[in-house]
Amino acid sequence: MSARAFEAFLTRIYVDAGARTRFAANPRDETRRAGLSDEECAALENIDWVGLEMAARSFARKRELQRKEQPRNSFKNNFENIFATISRRFRRH
Amino acid sequence: MVVAEEAAVAVAGAETMKTFVDKVGLGWRADLAAGILSHLDGIDLLEVIADDFFDAPRSEVRALKTLASQVPVVLHGVGMGLASAAPVGNQRLDKMARLVEQVRPQFWSEHLAFVRGGGIEIGHLAAPPRIADTLEGAAENLSRAAALIGSKPIMENIATLIDPPGSVLSESAWISGILASSDCHLLLDLHNVYANGLNHGYDPQAFLCQIPAKCISAIHIAGGKFISAPDGSQRLLDDHLHDVPDPVFELLEQAAALSPNPLTVILERDGAYPSMACLLAQMERARRALRRGRARRPVAREVLV
Repeated sequence: MSARAFEAFLTRIYVDAGARTRFAANPRDETRRAGLSDEECAALENIDWVGLEMAARSFARKRELQRKEQPRNSFKNNFENIFATISRRFRRH
Repeated sequence: MVVAEEAAVAVAGAETMKTFVDKVGLGWRADLAAGILSHLDGIDLLEVIADDFFDAPRSEVRALKTLASQVPVVLHGVGMGLASAAPVGNQRLDKMARLVEQVRPQFWSEHLAFVRGGGIEIGHLAAPPRIADTLEGAAENLSRAAALIGSKPIMENIATLIDPPGSVLSESAWISGILASSDCHLLLDLHNVYANGLNHGYDPQAFLCQIPAKCISAIHIAGGKFISAPDGSQRLLDDHLHDVPDPVFELLEQAAALSPNPLTVILERDGAYPSMACLLAQMERARRALRRGRARRPVAREVLV
């Protein structure tokens, strides 16, 4: 089993709606085209289809959020407030 | 011989008097900064997302170092993809090494996940097939990470909406295998266990009994929501946007009863932020769950800080 090729195939169907549609329409052809083994093809034919759709949607939302959002813990927007608060704590001790 | 026996008795005595110094902290988020800094007395430590600082300007890393000088910090990575059959890139390891050197956290952690394949980024944590290849790949990646960064990460179990295809091992067997082969400890995310249990049909409490308790040294607690599946069923999404549900506190009590290690518990919240009072109340509830769990251990005495 070529786990790297398998992970690459999973990645494609997680992020690419077109690849997912082609895979759903004809799992065996798509997995064979990706060069996966018989064992891997069989595993993917029995994929958790409901979970696949939900995971793909969840990943798409995460990528969308990453495009829109600042890093979660950036100091950029809070720099002055943070240092003012820390400085106050230093002065207290 | 007598000396050895006396030493053995002394060790056994020390074990019966074992004191647990458990800590309860919060995930650092910019939106919570002012509230966190105003309530440091109730927060034992902060967990900072490491990736946000990998390419940050020096001024931001300086700010993080200042924060770490005020309150214990742990660094949490999200983008390495260490549990993959593919080797993790040196560049990512170098960035973590540099940040660890600068911040000197209590520990650093990452996920038992893959996050990219064939040059494509998934954008989040994905569960790899639970097979020997990914187990070996993870062990190799963890060995390289430890060598380059200078310390082993604590590895976190992930939530997954899809039962990873191609798996031949159970989740608990796969995680246990990686911990055994890498000698890493586990950051046990209890909401992930709860969500996976509900979504994939296993008992979360039984799961805790199947993983090596001696490896549990850190814990995540969080909340999520049920989302509808295309077939009308529901699955629990680990979105970190909701309060910690009761079953997760029950699992925390059980983990405290099982683990022989001091535990670092982190409350994760990524948005829809409630008041600091609400977050602090959940942290206090976590402390109470830890106390109950420790009390269930037959020969342990616990002290919370």
